[in-house]
Amino acid sequence: MSKEILECSVNGEQQSCLIDRRDTLLELLRTRLQLTGTKEGCGNGNCGSCTVIVDSQTVCSCLMFAVEAQDCEITTIEGVASVGELHRVQEALIKHGGTQCGFCTPGVVMSAVGLFAENPSPNESDIRLAIAGNICRCTGYEKIVKALMDVADPKGAD
Amino acid sequence: MFEEIIAHADPHGDHDTIGRRLPRIDSGKRVTGEAIYPADFQLPGMVYAKLKRSPHPHAKIRSIDTSKAMELAGVLAVTTADDFPELEPGTAVPMGQGSCDVWMVGQINMARHKVFWVGQPVAAVAAIDLHIAEQALELIKIEYEVLDAVFSIDEATAPAAPALYDSMRTTGLDTPSNKPTNVCSRTVFKRGNSDSALANSDETVELSIKVDTAHQGYIEPQSVVAQHDRDGLTTLWVSTQGHFTTELVTARVLGIPQSKIRVVPLEIGGGFGGKVFIHGESVAAKLAEKCGRPVQLIFSREEVLQGGSGPTAALQGKLEIGASKDGVINAIKSRIHVDAGGLPDMNPGIILQVFAALYQTPNLFLEGFDVVTNKPRTEAYRAPGGIQAAFLMEQAIDELSQKLEMDPLEFRRRNASVTGSTMPAGTPFPSIGVLEIADAVAAHPCWTTPLKEGSMPRGRGLAFGYWRGTSMTSACHVTISGDGRPMFTLGSVDISGAHTSMAQVAAEQFQMSLDDVYVATGDSKSVGYTDIAAASRVTRTMAAAVIDASQAALAELKKRAANLMQLTAEELTYDHGSFRTANDNGPSMTVADVMKATLTQGAIICQGSSSNLPFGVEVGAHVCDVEVDKDTGQITVLKYTAFQDVGFALNPPAVEGQIEGSVVQGLGWAISEGFDYGSDGRLRNASLLDYRIPTALDVPSIDTVLLQKPVPGVPYGLRGVGEVPIVPVAACVANAVARAVGNRVTQMPMTPERVFKAMTAS
Amino acid sequence: MELFNFQTPSSVAELLIAKANTNAWLLAGGTDLIPQLKEGRRKADLVIDIKKIPAMNGISELEDGTLRIGAAVSATAIAQNVDAIRSYAALASSVALIGSRQVQNRATLGGNVCNAAPSADAIPALICYDAMAEIEGAEGKREILVEDLFTGPGRTQLNPTEVLISFLLPLQSERTAAAYQRFTPRREMDIAVAGVGSRISLDADGKIIAARVALASVGPTPLRAASAECVLMDESPSSQLFEEAGVAAAQDASPISDTRGSAEYRRHLVSVLCKRTLASATNELLQDTWT
Repeated sequence: MSKEILECSVNGEQQSCLIDRRDTLLELLRTRLQLTGTKEGCGNGNCGSCTVIVDSQTVCSCLMFAVEAQDCEITTIEGVASVGELHRVQEALIKHGGTQCGFCTPGVVMSAVGLFAENPSPNESDIRLAIAGNICRCTGYEKIVKALMDVADPKGAD
Repeated sequence: MFEEIIAHADPHGDHDTIGRRLPRIDSGKRVTGEAIYPADFQLPGMVYAKLKRSPHPHAKIRSIDTSKAMELAGVLAVTTADDFPELEPGTAVPMGQGSCDVWMVGQINMARHKVFWVGQPVAAVAAIDLHIAEQALELIKIEYEVLDAVFSIDEATAPAAPALYDSMRTTGLDTPSNKPTNVCSRTVFKRGNSDSALANSDETVELSIKVDTAHQGYIEPQSVVAQHDRDGLTTLWVSTQGHFTTELVTARVLGIPQSKIRVVPLEIGGGFGGKVFIHGESVAAKLAEKCGRPVQLIFSREEVLQGGSGPTAALQGKLEIGASKDGVINAIKSRIHVDAGGLPDMNPGIILQVFAALYQTPNLFLEGFDVVTNKPRTEAYRAPGGIQAAFLMEQAIDELSQKLEMDPLEFRRRNASVTGSTMPAGTPFPSIGVLEIADAVAAHPCWTTPLKEGSMPRGRGLAFGYWRGTSMTSACHVTISGDGRPMFTLGSVDISGAHTSMAQVAAEQFQMSLDDVYVATGDSKSVGYTDIAAASRVTRTMAAAVIDASQAALAELKKRAANLMQLTAEELTYDHGSFRTANDNGPSMTVADVMKATLTQGAIICQGSSSNLPFGVEVGAHVCDVEVDKDTGQITVLKYTAFQDVGFALNPPAVEGQIEGSVVQGLGWAISEGFDYGSDGRLRNASLLDYRIPTALDVPSIDTVLLQKPVPGVPYGLRGVGEVPIVPVAACVANAVARAVGNRVTQMPMTPERVFKAMTAS
Repeated sequence: MELFNFQTPSSVAELLIAKANTNAWLLAGGTDLIPQLKEGRRKADLVIDIKKIPAMNGISELEDGTLRIGAAVSATAIAQNVDAIRSYAALASSVALIGSRQVQNRATLGGNVCNAAPSADAIPALICYDAMAEIEGAEGKREILVEDLFTGPGRTQLNPTEVLISFLLPLQSERTAAAYQRFTPRREMDIAVAGVGSRISLDADGKIIAARVALASVGPTPLRAASAECVLMDESPSSQLFEEAGVAAAQDASPISDTRGSAEYRRHLVSVLCKRTLASATNELLQDTWT
């Protein structure tokens, strides 16, 4: 049989799901749990659209088998905002126009959330390095970087 | 009424909503992942499709045996070209200002008889999960008769080249030939005598360039969900730049009437010209019909790059330009070849226009050929052909200014086209602001501040860009809700913030707040025909349609208010949601009250449309500073500033975002993005690892300088915005490199190795 | 992807039993293996996740000063490890070049080495530090130099029953410094067109008493540039010397032409990167006082 039961926590909810061993974590999230906020842009870890946080580390969910997530704590883009209140990274991206087509945006948000968890006051090069694995084709990164710099230093020059 | 609005639209005037720095009204769902793209869209019972693609660049399809695949448990349907009606080449349907060959679109979706490139689809399966669908593909047996293939313009135009199409004859030749050829057409623009003018010029420059195929690089791969219901209606949920065109073309490819197909546009994860044609929509529809279940088809990134979508054209060309000692251009002569890929008709006319748009010359000879090769059929990419053409023209201009020992800005200014100058096709230029932009550059610190020395050679580049864009047709309608709010349905999809900018226009028209208007895109059955979201046309033309519909709705509301108030419409004026008389103390009535009293007496539904609006000609100038690693050839862009006349910035951050994104796309193609085909016709860099789109670390901060010179006859004087900012980028970088190291790089992308070779060649 | 079985052993002993199966692939970070399985470049009957095995995890200093790094330790864990940063800076910086941050959080040192790509960024630094690979298999344990592991692109001399457990980085003598640099068209998210790791150790008089130059992406396996090392031995650091070492290293390289660069250009890059890494290492030792 190719199917087995996987137990993990996704956005704080304990999940028990029937998976195919060939499923990547991305397929588990998108297809089986219907958490479609995490996007697939390349399937090979080269674009970052599928970035999620597994046990406090950002990962490309296309580069992890679902079975590897046994007992892991996973946060996806759906788990970043609370009801009625967006994460400050999300607020800043809206305010600065850091999202256009929106397809890379969930991955960018997850990388940024990972960055600020590790370093609350990154500078511009820290920010650019942290999102270097997230390819954005629309914005030229300008307004994403501005938004994240605003999060890093809300009192800094606009 | 419409003319009156235009006359009163002062872009620099006092506005409530337009021209303000407002966030996109639909940002919330983007930053939370709630926005739904076709890959996120699910229906009960939905199954998954995969395409079997050709491993050969050029082959006859002898036979296809799908029986083993059908026997695999979990496989629900298999399809090949046999399930589609056979169309004749040249079966045209209208698309934009021209037409589109449905036979060709059919070939992009499913090859019949012959394959023309690696990755062209030849069969498809639908199965209960993707793992089974993938296994089924391997069970489809296809016999090919492999043919000789050509992979470049040089190979395709060589005397003994194998012909892709036996029936192809070059159109537009002075002396027609009856021999099969891979050259589809010849296009010429001429005036005066460029040869003798070149011979009589004080200084001349001759430059040849080669540009590799590049990809639009949208992050969302092609995806679609198709459903075929028991009443015979096919519904497609798509990611497209034009759902009306998708409907028109898919219906023809499937051989069904348009009454039996509905196209619902979902979010589009980037298009840039690459999501105009259909790439698998008809196949998903056919599979859904065959298996009676909804079918989802999503391309992998490798499929997107390896022949599953249309990248943009490779180009090679030569340009000669001559000027007098005092810096007046005498003649421009150019010949270019465009690599259309495996299907014909990538007209180079649009590219040739770029060569003689910004600068005037009495003598002109421009000649363009489009050539078929065994590579994916190419499609549009942001100002299609513009960046390639500017890479040639703006480098030649720069080189000529160096030879004349003249400031490159001054040289351009001396020859600049102005409103009313002659366009290459002979017609007069609409409003064009080359001189104003040159003035802005001349006064800006990015141009006036001396370049700081570094440990490696540095240079500053300048290049201008031109793009005409187009207008075509746009439609929308507005209804008024029971509480007096305007509800707009647009015919355009939102690829660059159109919902926000149209909400701004609507709010401005109704003198209401942004939260009081509703704006959405209608599906192909719920709003009037609207052309593709492309060619820098949506904001300008849809704004005209929204104003048109708003004025009609306000007029109807006024009539109703007048009736209710027992006055004439002429006695009432509209002011921020209320109708009142001229007398300040006179009666007034809110739109909400008008609707409350009249809702059940008939809906207000007013349409707005726009067609053939004056062009919003786009002009921009870019300045960049680069450093070149003299040991490796690597270019580092230190600083980049883009100037652009946008007519009027309806939403400045959205306008800046278009320019910033465009510049970085241009930097990608300029420096690191190019298709690399092996001798077997396979793309060797079919991944986002080796097809190198710039990351946040590869680009500097992009400064934008917006000029606002309104275009007459267009609401608020709006110009096109989204295309021209890619046009000058590669030339700008090349000019900076040339000034840094003294060598011109004539191959694009200007990869480190190519730059290094150019530096060490001398 | 073909269907496979999946096991998660919790000890090396369990792992070796599982590995006795035919066609078993070890899954560490998965950043190479998963794409290979997806694209059909590798087929597995059994996938063995090694991340739950204590002996293959963790970074520890042994009594003799050797730094032991488990094969399943992630690139991020190495890049952030203070011992690695202090004593094996070239390794700590080279693992931070493997893909994006998301990839580094998964990719492991063992995976980077056992995938045996000629372009692997961590390998030249390991070779420079004379790192040993600790190997266990059906026939027992052995230790070999990382340098000697590779037999071809994607191939190592591990036999089918063997597993690479950890890396042992010997204590470096005082006045030793190393650097790794690679050349890529993009700043990140790219594969080395060429890469060079260099180490030099100086005696009290400032003479080079040990030198290592290791090359990536310019041969079927990672290579040691023996003639470049010969040029350096017993000499004092100088720009001229490093220039000569670069020329020698370029001769040691045997690159091919492919989509990432021509053989000729790669050879040239080797000389440039050799020079630059030697200069960088020397700068660290002499704080810019050398000429």
